[in-house]
Amino acid sequence: MELQLGLALPSVPFSKGFDLNSCGYEAKEVLGGFDSILDCNVEKSSEEKKRSFDEAFDVQSVQVPETLPLLVWNQQTEHNYPENSSSSITRSDEEEEEDGIIGWPPIKYRRKKLCHGSPISDANCWTVGNGESGGGGDGGHSRGPNPTYVKVKMEGVTIARKVDLSLHHSYQTLTHTLVGMFGRCQEDVKAYKLTYQDNDGDWLLAGDVPWGTFVRSVQRLKVLNNGD
Amino acid sequence: YLSNTSTLSTKMAKSFPEEVLEHVFSFITSDSDRNAVSLVCKSWYEIERWCRKRVFVGNCYAVSPRILTRRFPEVRSVEIKGKPHFADFNLVPEGWGGCVYPWISAMAGAYPWLEEIRLKRMVVSDEALELISTSFCNFKVLVLSSCEGFSTDGLASIAANCRELRVLDLRESEVDDLSGHWLSHFPDTWTSLVSLNIACLGSEVSFSALERLVARSPNLRTLRLNRAVSLEKLHNLLCRAPQLVEFGTGAYSSELRPDVFSNLAGAFSGCKQLKGLSGFWDVVPAYLPAIYLTCSGLTSLNLSYATIQSPDLVKLVSQCHNLQRLWVLDYIEDIGLDALAASCKHLQELRVFPSDPYVVDPNVSLTERGLVAVSEGCPKLQSVLYFCRQMSNAALVAIARNRPNLVCFRLCIIEPRAPDYLTLEPLDAGFGAIVEHCKELRRLSLSGLLTDRVFEYIGTRGRKLEMLSIAFAGESDLGLHHVLSGCESLRKLEIRDCPFGDKALLANAAKLETMRSLWMSSCSVSFGACKLLGQKLPRLNVEVIDERGSPDSRPESCPVEKLYIYRTVAGPRVDMPPFVWTIDEDAALRV
Repeated sequence: MELQLGLALPSVPFSKGFDLNSCGYEAKEVLGGFDSILDCNVEKSSEEKKRSFDEAFDVQSVQVPETLPLLVWNQQTEHNYPENSSSSITRSDEEEEEDGIIGWPPIKYRRKKLCHGSPISDANCWTVGNGESGGGGDGGHSRGPNPTYVKVKMEGVTIARKVDLSLHHSYQTLTHTLVGMFGRCQEDVKAYKLTYQDNDGDWLLAGDVPWGTFVRSVQRLKVLNNGD
Repeated sequence: YLSNTSTLSTKMAKSFPEEVLEHVFSFITSDSDRNAVSLVCKSWYEIERWCRKRVFVGNCYAVSPRILTRRFPEVRSVEIKGKPHFADFNLVPEGWGGCVYPWISAMAGAYPWLEEIRLKRMVVSDEALELISTSFCNFKVLVLSSCEGFSTDGLASIAANCRELRVLDLRESEVDDLSGHWLSHFPDTWTSLVSLNIACLGSEVSFSALERLVARSPNLRTLRLNRAVSLEKLHNLLCRAPQLVEFGTGAYSSELRPDVFSNLAGAFSGCKQLKGLSGFWDVVPAYLPAIYLTCSGLTSLNLSYATIQSPDLVKLVSQCHNLQRLWVLDYIEDIGLDALAASCKHLQELRVFPSDPYVVDPNVSLTERGLVAVSEGCPKLQSVLYFCRQMSNAALVAIARNRPNLVCFRLCIIEPRAPDYLTLEPLDAGFGAIVEHCKELRRLSLSGLLTDRVFEYIGTRGRKLEMLSIAFAGESDLGLHHVLSGCESLRKLEIRDCPFGDKALLANAAKLETMRSLWMSSCSVSFGACKLLGQKLPRLNVEVIDERGSPDSRPESCPVEKLYIYRTVAGPRVDMPPFVWTIDEDAALRV
């Protein structure tokens, strides 16, 4: 328990009169919940401050918006992050993606170290590293004999995934797998187009070159919404 | 009124000598009871403060060392916490603060008889360790939990100078590991060791020094080795310490040799008091049977570094019928959790960590089903930390109904904003059921797709909730308002990447003085709102943590990167790094 040196206020209903929203500052409010009910008028008299909060937050009358375009907002602030904070020390270069989320999932540094780069002895059941730096204990469920992992991102989805190209032999199976990987319906395959970055660094539409050529030159994949 | 009180006090003082009151107070150990006692009247305040022996400071910036030492002159044991919890996940920039030296320096003068120091998330320098080692002749217990800033040189000072040391516990601290030589600084005459935890150290300590240390410590109860201690050497230590209660192995791997195996198994079976095991890096499954004979007595098992598959985990865990606490990787899978539910009826705490957290595809077959099974089969389960990749409202409702005795529920669905995988709806109803049924819930961490609705449930039903962690959740300020205007017992609130802005914070400003702290990062709180809070609430420190440069260089409406608000009687910090700003009463920006 805390060192309580008269810090704790007796529990008062906070709604009574301690609303700093009427202090003359135009409070920034995010999306809908407040402004449509609490009129942020600087000239409000003190009587009007005492609006009951039950009244103020009557959910039925609030236009609670649909799921926010949070990703747009997130991307803006992520670009504000300085370079050094985007690298958790243990991540390989592959992991330092522009959309990488710092500190997520919430695992302590010590455990993160274990996931990437723990030596896997032959005595264990796991097969030895998969050719990528930082290969941890992969489950071995969906791996070919010579796994070729490339990173895949889908437009609008935060976390990237990895796909083992050695398990596929055509663009069709690959696209279907990817669509499924991101939780989209298989019928929606036509709504997406697959692009890839080749070893020259150029982003190309997948499907133009023979499969073998593609597999040899692909560095990473991106699934975009069709009609962009 | 005043004269009545003083007459009463005088009467009391005459009829009840201080020594008697002091004796009575010595039976009161809980801090909250002690605080209550000190508020009864002035003389009780005085008597209590003179005899308080143990102090807990939940936030090192809430009070100053001088205030502490002035009020409580006879302290023997101190516990102090520094950085906010999200520092564990790299969200607090390096150099933010939490330095312990000023505390040690003040206590060195005020508490020559200090015996115990426990620190969590603090920056501890070698100088601080050296000062500890030379200032307190009766020093017995040093626990450094998730601390950093010191090297093995600092440990050498402790080893060399603390003649009465009983406990050296470096729990998960980041130590600059220069060499293992520090252990040899413990004098040969020193035999009072009770607990040694060096699991976080990287480099090898001198094994012969360790052996001799263990051999001359008859009171040794807890020994947690680091990864560098090889498996073949374990039996040497265990044979010299058959009285061990808690043991942590090093790397649990070696070439399979029958003599090594039988030595190890023999040594383990000699430890009849063993209740807890940990360590198990790099496990070779063939060596696991060496501990089978200890299983029936085990109450605590930490396999969270053991990269072994489900069948091996199941064989082990099914023998631990008295297990109360299990930490394990998700290699255990649903099938392993079924076995756990069937075998371990005394289980109280379960933590399942992700083996491959950065890939969204499941690499193991661990889903919500495993947790539901444990909630059904383990009637005493009260604390859960669970990382998984899919969850449903139905599962959460089942868990809530099965286990209304849950006290701590932390769920991390790895993909942010993942919906109920069956219905694609938000998980509001599921978490709502948790707070509805689990009336004793004190700690909750949310994840998955969540609207403002879940916060309405939490605000109204989470009456005993003390700590709440929120990430990638909510839709508007309404969500935050529900929490701040409800949750009567809330002490710590930490939020990241949520669309919460100024309004809810400003509307519930007074709430912040009843809490230990609020952390918000990657939200939408503007600098202007921070200034207003800092101005109007002098008993709060409102820290703006922003690595983009001074907030004055941007419009006031611009959201801050991170903010950390905590109540304090110590006033603004004097040790802020350049990227932390607080606001004065006159709204001046102070660095």
